[in-house]
Amino acid sequence: MKTLKRIYLGLILLFLYIPIVVLIIQSFNAGESRAKWEGFSLIWYGKLFDDPNIMNALWITVSIAVLAALFSTVLGTLAAIGIHAMRKRPQALMLTLNNIPMTMPDIVTGISLMLLFIFTQVERGYVTMLLAHITFDVPYVILSVMPKLQQMNKNSYEAALDLGATPMYALFHVILPEVMPGVITGAMLAFTLSLDDFTISYFTTSPLVQNLSTLIYSQARKGIKPTMNALSALMFVVLLVLLLLVNKRTDSQEK
Amino acid sequence: MTDFQVPVWGYWVMGAGLAAFLTLVGMYVKKNRGFKRPLFASPYVLWLALFTVIPCLLVAYFSFTDPAGNFTLDNFKNFWDSNYNARKAIDPKELESYLAMGLSLEDLGLARNAINIDTLVFSLWMAFLCTAICLLLGYPAAHIMADREFKLGPTLVILFIVPMWMNFLLRTIAMMSLLEDNGLINNVLEMMGVGRQKLLNNLAAVQLGMVYNFLPFMVFPIYNVLNKMDYKLSEAAMDLGCDKWHTFYKVTLPLSVPGVVSGITMVFMPAVTTFYISRLLGGGKVQLFGDLIEAKFLSTSLNEWNVGSALSLIMMILILASLGLLRKADPEGEGGGIV
Amino acid sequence: MEDKRLITLEDISKAYDGVTVLNHINLYIRQKEFVTLLGPSGCGKTTTLRIIGGFERADSGRVIFDGQDISEIPPYRRRVNTVFQKYALFPHLNVKDNIAFGLKIKKMSAAEIQKKVDYMLDLVNLSGFGKRSVESLSGGQQQRIAIARALVNEPEVLLLDEPLGALDLKLRKEMQLELKSMQQRLGITFLYVTHDQEEALTMSDTIVVMQGGNILQIGTPKSIYDEPSNAFVANFIGESNIFSGTMVRDEMVHFCGADFPCVDSGFGEDKPVDVVIRPEDVLLVGEDVGQVTGVIKSVLFKGVHYEMMIDAGHSIWKVHSTTMQPEGSRVGLSVVPFNIHIMHPMQEENKQPQEEDAQ
Repeated sequence: MKTLKRIYLGLILLFLYIPIVVLIIQSFNAGESRAKWEGFSLIWYGKLFDDPNIMNALWITVSIAVLAALFSTVLGTLAAIGIHAMRKRPQALMLTLNNIPMTMPDIVTGISLMLLFIFTQVERGYVTMLLAHITFDVPYVILSVMPKLQQMNKNSYEAALDLGATPMYALFHVILPEVMPGVITGAMLAFTLSLDDFTISYFTTSPLVQNLSTLIYSQARKGIKPTMNALSALMFVVLLVLLLLVNKRTDSQEK
Repeated sequence: MTDFQVPVWGYWVMGAGLAAFLTLVGMYVKKNRGFKRPLFASPYVLWLALFTVIPCLLVAYFSFTDPAGNFTLDNFKNFWDSNYNARKAIDPKELESYLAMGLSLEDLGLARNAINIDTLVFSLWMAFLCTAICLLLGYPAAHIMADREFKLGPTLVILFIVPMWMNFLLRTIAMMSLLEDNGLINNVLEMMGVGRQKLLNNLAAVQLGMVYNFLPFMVFPIYNVLNKMDYKLSEAAMDLGCDKWHTFYKVTLPLSVPGVVSGITMVFMPAVTTFYISRLLGGGKVQLFGDLIEAKFLSTSLNEWNVGSALSLIMMILILASLGLLRKADPEGEGGGIV
Repeated sequence: MEDKRLITLEDISKAYDGVTVLNHINLYIRQKEFVTLLGPSGCGKTTTLRIIGGFERADSGRVIFDGQDISEIPPYRRRVNTVFQKYALFPHLNVKDNIAFGLKIKKMSAAEIQKKVDYMLDLVNLSGFGKRSVESLSGGQQQRIAIARALVNEPEVLLLDEPLGALDLKLRKEMQLELKSMQQRLGITFLYVTHDQEEALTMSDTIVVMQGGNILQIGTPKSIYDEPSNAFVANFIGESNIFSGTMVRDEMVHFCGADFPCVDSGFGEDKPVDVVIRPEDVLLVGEDVGQVTGVIKSVLFKGVHYEMMIDAGHSIWKVHSTTMQPEGSRVGLSVVPFNIHIMHPMQEENKQPQEEDAQ
């Protein structure tokens, strides 16, 4: 019975991971065809870095992820501190509003933002994509910082004021140092989610400004080329490492 | 690409909104005679209003207007009949003359067409299937991992958590390359002498892709609930004379309901709204509700955007309703419902 | 203690979401006085402290500090410092930096800060702990650091919010004495909040008994113990027998089926009153000479004395005595007139202590 259970669990995990593993292995295949293994090679990775479209998309993806993480961390940390100090009713309202972007399907979030940009006649591109990314990142930053605030002694901030600190001084010298682990986790999460996003980017940018996800999508609709394999494999590994790191952080913080 | 104009009142509304916000902040400061911590949230309040609340209202606005900005319910009538707007747009006299020429509505492509509602029903069916399969596959997996004697459990759970966050597009592409005509599976089949099969661009491939993407969302909440459950409860049940099977369905199963409900919602919602899984694995032959909405917004015809908004609104209401249901079944969010 | 009134609360009221927490409080605190706000949880004592500290704003009324209205002054500009319930030490700073927190804001020189921190550490008997992390300290040590962190700023008033609540009994007793002697040595006004009546009696110059947002009585520990102003105070401070009775005339009260001579007057004739008798004031006498008689229902050994519950027909008496009578025996009970405390019956609303938490 015990072995049966383990076999079952193993099969499920195989189902979840085989496609990814195969994709990664294939990206090292020297031949163009996936039909047979023609030896180990980094040729597709080389081509990846020669393709100006891909390099451009890479730059857009990474720079947006960094900027979105930065802005959403500042916005989200301040918001978490404010929401934490609110009275019950406004706090409940804020948490509900904050939940909207997380619970709404990505496609609806994407479309609603797209309508906003069209309605206000802001041309879709880099800036609109950045704004959209900040929007969906902030709730997760708040979610990472909030538990740290709740763990804090509820009198810490008041103790600082009591000792002569202005609210700003207390923010930088007492609250922020104490919640810093949560802030860093939030920033990492925001960065990862931003790298990871496809749907919302897809609706909030123009075909001229593509990040890696939208580029992969537009290419994949025509069939998968080996360079796309390599690119996907690369993204998988980066995301996997980032996610494991975030996960480890939240785990150790809970303990 | 856009012929939309911000109406003059639009600027007024935006200006008034900003002024109202600043006034509120000012009033708050005045009332409390100084800076208070809740004010740290004010930039985000503004952000939420601009990028969450207003866009949602815009979806509603577009749903109830025609491209000229007049109030209309036509977009929802389109939900039942996707040619409704087209038929309405054509000059009645022209239509009459066509009909007089012996052409039928079918010939003109203006007959009632229930594609929108049919697609929604079909999406619900696919999502339902996906949810059922995930539940059947996921519950036992969660149960095995939550077993206290299975020391590896907590480690293996991470392998289920990580894909929950991982780019669905990439994972779909991985699945796509596996199923391709010259993908791994076909190579294995050929070696076994079965011969290559058409594995892509059909319903089964889309369903497989959905289960593959959303299975972790079923496993994790159920594991969470089972893991937190007091193991002494099942020991108590056994002590009271229940055998293993009775203990399971008299104690464990009822207590895991919040996790199951959570899992069902978390699988069902994205399954109803997905569009790229069906696009990539169905090759455009399988159209889900998400594809329909996407198509409406890719269209250059302005009318279609209003219809698309109406469809999005319908989807939003669907999601909110199922979330409400979730809150009822799992009020404490024990299942770790919304991650 | 001097006569100068350092803090005056004028008609302070506060409500949270429609629930009254403070109901028109008037109170003054003299310089160098040790004042204790005493009452059950939810009585408004902590809220009073927080209004003086500047963390809450009263809905109405004024806080006068040294002749100045400070109601609108934020906490960081008030000349008071607070020791919080669970100390609220900053976990990311070490002991020295915690104590130096306020001094650094005042931009003091490093040498001066070091001198003051060392002096404070010495004062709280923790010399040499400067480099330690606060989380490595025991509860009692953290408590001392919290006091040092507040005192180093040389406040005119130190506010203490149940500072000993988290300590075990033995440590609590030690700290009580230490705090009291520190207050006397430094000549600082202390405003102390506690729900522990014994703590209040041990340390205070003045006790303010609060309940349901009202001040019930203000007085020295002795006057509050000996002359509680109503049954609630009597019951809250020490143990009491409380009976409903009737004032027959001046210096004669009727309760438990008998007339008792007493020393109170001015209640009128045939007026309902509450009668309070401390258990240690009840004398066990022979059955024939007692004012009332009863049967001993239970006997508990309490160390210094025995606690006996005596059924006197219509009433149960709690009696503390150093001599024991066996269970079931009939005894006479007698109280000297001086030990019978007569008070006006409490209003119904005051009899039910409100359980809402002030926080």
